[in-house]
Amino acid sequence: MDTLVARYSRPTYDETVTEDMEEELLDPVASGLSLKFAMPPVAQPSSWLRSATDDRMNPDCPIKIAHGTTTLAFRFQGGIIVATDSRATSGDWIASQTVKKVIEINDKMLGTMAGGAADCQYWLAWLGMQCRLHELRHKRRISVAAASKILANLVYSYKNMGLSMGTMCAGVTKEEGPALYYIDSDGTRLAGNLFCVGSGQTFAYGVLDAEYKYDLSVEDALALGSRSILAATHRDAYSGGFINLYHVKEQGWEKHGFSDTNPIFWKTKLEKGEFTNVTSELV
Amino acid sequence: MVGKDCVAIACDLRLGLQALTVSNNFPKIFQYGDVLLGLTGLATDVATVSDLFRYKVNMYRLREERNIAPSTFANLVSSSLYERRFGPYFVSPVVAGLDQKTGKPFICGFDSIGCIDFAKDFIVSGTATEQLFGMCESLWEPDMVRLDLDFRTLFPPGIFFYMMILLKNGQLNHDVECSTIMHIICTSDLNFTNASYQSTFATGFDEFFANNLNLLDDLQCPEDLFETISQALLNAVDRDALSGWGAHVYIIEKDKVTKRLLKGRQD
Amino acid sequence: MPGFDFSNYNRNAALHARGVPLPKATSTGTTIVGCIFDGGVVIAADTRATSGPIVADKNCEKLHYIAPQIWCAGAGTAADTEFTTSLISSQLELHSLSTDRKPRVVTCMTMLKQHLFRYQGHIGAYLVVAGVDPTGTHLFTVHAHGSTDKLPYVTMGSGSLAAMSVFETQWKGSLTEQDAVNLCSEAIQAGIFNDLGSGSNVDVAIITKDKTTLKRNHIKPNERSKKLKSYAFERGTTAVLKEKIITKKELGRFVDIEEVEPEGEKMDVDT
Repeated sequence: MDTLVARYSRPTYDETVTEDMEEELLDPVASGLSLKFAMPPVAQPSSWLRSATDDRMNPDCPIKIAHGTTTLAFRFQGGIIVATDSRATSGDWIASQTVKKVIEINDKMLGTMAGGAADCQYWLAWLGMQCRLHELRHKRRISVAAASKILANLVYSYKNMGLSMGTMCAGVTKEEGPALYYIDSDGTRLAGNLFCVGSGQTFAYGVLDAEYKYDLSVEDALALGSRSILAATHRDAYSGGFINLYHVKEQGWEKHGFSDTNPIFWKTKLEKGEFTNVTSELV
Repeated sequence: MVGKDCVAIACDLRLGLQALTVSNNFPKIFQYGDVLLGLTGLATDVATVSDLFRYKVNMYRLREERNIAPSTFANLVSSSLYERRFGPYFVSPVVAGLDQKTGKPFICGFDSIGCIDFAKDFIVSGTATEQLFGMCESLWEPDMVRLDLDFRTLFPPGIFFYMMILLKNGQLNHDVECSTIMHIICTSDLNFTNASYQSTFATGFDEFFANNLNLLDDLQCPEDLFETISQALLNAVDRDALSGWGAHVYIIEKDKVTKRLLKGRQD
Repeated sequence: MPGFDFSNYNRNAALHARGVPLPKATSTGTTIVGCIFDGGVVIAADTRATSGPIVADKNCEKLHYIAPQIWCAGAGTAADTEFTTSLISSQLELHSLSTDRKPRVVTCMTMLKQHLFRYQGHIGAYLVVAGVDPTGTHLFTVHAHGSTDKLPYVTMGSGSLAAMSVFETQWKGSLTEQDAVNLCSEAIQAGIFNDLGSGSNVDVAIITKDKTTLKRNHIKPNERSKKLKSYAFERGTTAVLKEKIITKKELGRFVDIEEVEPEGEKMDVDT
């Protein structure tokens, strides 16, 4: 009996793992958000998690994580445009049409959300905390490069453990100018002019690449961001809802609306004559 | 969906390959004379099965020299699908039509191997089935007429109360007698026992209806059924990632079929 | 035997292997029962049809006609019970015509079990066969694999345990018709209320030497209350892009014969 009990009773989380991690990653002062995660009592937590949550591999999986997204961000002479859709799906079910996929890390920097909603929200909030600590310690704003690297290093330490995020960090600083970084849960961290992330990324790239120039006016840049998301929401089943539009400047970011795609779509179609693939004729 | 002396059938217009929307003009309703067939499922089978039934219905017409009745067509669909019990087409059909002789609404649905679901209210099928069930269960009501319409404002007050009394006593035998009014009486909290109405408005009643025979025709159900089925479909597909991108709605009445293209969300 | 068409079988297997989900068949979920009384037999069924966790039909018919004095209650795959019973019904009718005798319940049961056994359980029909013939009153169960049972009271389907509990506590050797109807109704209601796969109403069929009485919706313990208010939309709520009215005349009563153009793609004869 005792052997049985011993075999099936384990601590809710594996302390050896978390202790290693704490040393490796964390400033002990910064412990408002816990890095101790409860681990399931199985040999391979990551593959176990994947088998329970991957609805593409197994449509009947018990836990369906909300995903499916289109997010984009691009650098231009006037700063950075960040735009996203707002749909969350679990399987084919549209769980929400009003998700905020732009995460305000602080009043100067933005992050975007693609992949696991909880992962992105949690770690970008955590990143916000790290950025503030940096400010307090060094008495100046953190660079976007440094902030994105903190996040990249963090997700890398959890590599292959089931984190799922594709995020972009956007900010404008005096030293860097407009700076845009792409970070994903594989540990990739890339600097670039223009990124689209999520299931609708290809559709967004299609519009964005065709019209993008670095010296776009602010007005044109906002219109282009919005139009790219609209194209993606139209063709991608897992993107839709509202267009969330931001403009990041050196003084901080500025919100340019959270607007329903439906009226925008019909306006684009009927007034500009685009989207001719949608018929208004009866056969 | 069944209405009063009419039926409606509606479909979305999306053809998709997983997440990718390939076409947004892919109707899934096919008309064979008096009968309409809706097909959801694998697109290749939707095309094959719709052509197969076009062939079968045409052959029926050549042999019988008459249109196929909705119930006959339902049995044809059922047996054709069951023939492929162990290698089915991936479709779940819906049949809608009016019986040509009696004018009675007929709808039914099938699973992919031909089990018929006869319903007297509504049938749903496709990827948004669960959402549609929810919408239809709440929106559908028998003899689809707007019950929020206040009959008291429609008729002069005396006439209205007199109708109530007659109906309650089972004395009203008129062309315009309508189950809706009965329904209102059954659910209304008014007290109609006051016999004095009877004598006061007895003369006014006949005169009123002689002049206003078409009054209840304005309340005919096809338009209300259209709103109900359209809203049920549009709002259901707005919660399903794989459906939407516009819709077709057919309202079938005794002497005509009205086909409408709806303006739906395109995301 | 009219054969099944297997021509889609390999395609469907290939599609399934590539991850296309197989379509869900409607299942009856079901509680069905049967009980012999002095002078006849009663069978009863609930009226719920399910497709996975969804109630597909709230008032379906699970009592199937075989012959005037032989009826069948079906559980399992809904299409299979429907078509198996109607197939056997027609064969039995022909058999009865050629032998010039009234059809017998054993004959029906034997034909069913031989048909089902041939398909090795792939035809998912679980049946209660009951009837009165010149040899007496009979009650059988037939399982999808072809096994049969002969008992004074039987239950089948997902609610069979709930229903059996009623029979095991209340059944007695000699019952009147009314007792048997009540007992069967109680058993079905036990299924309706305690088994998630069963629900809605109670259908009953009473078969005696002289006549068969089908009591559709004998008990309705789950009637939906009337809505107190209407959710009906105001006219003009729905945005319409285009409208077309097709009148009866345009539909055409008979097949139109049209000249087919040389390159003509249109083959539809009814346009």
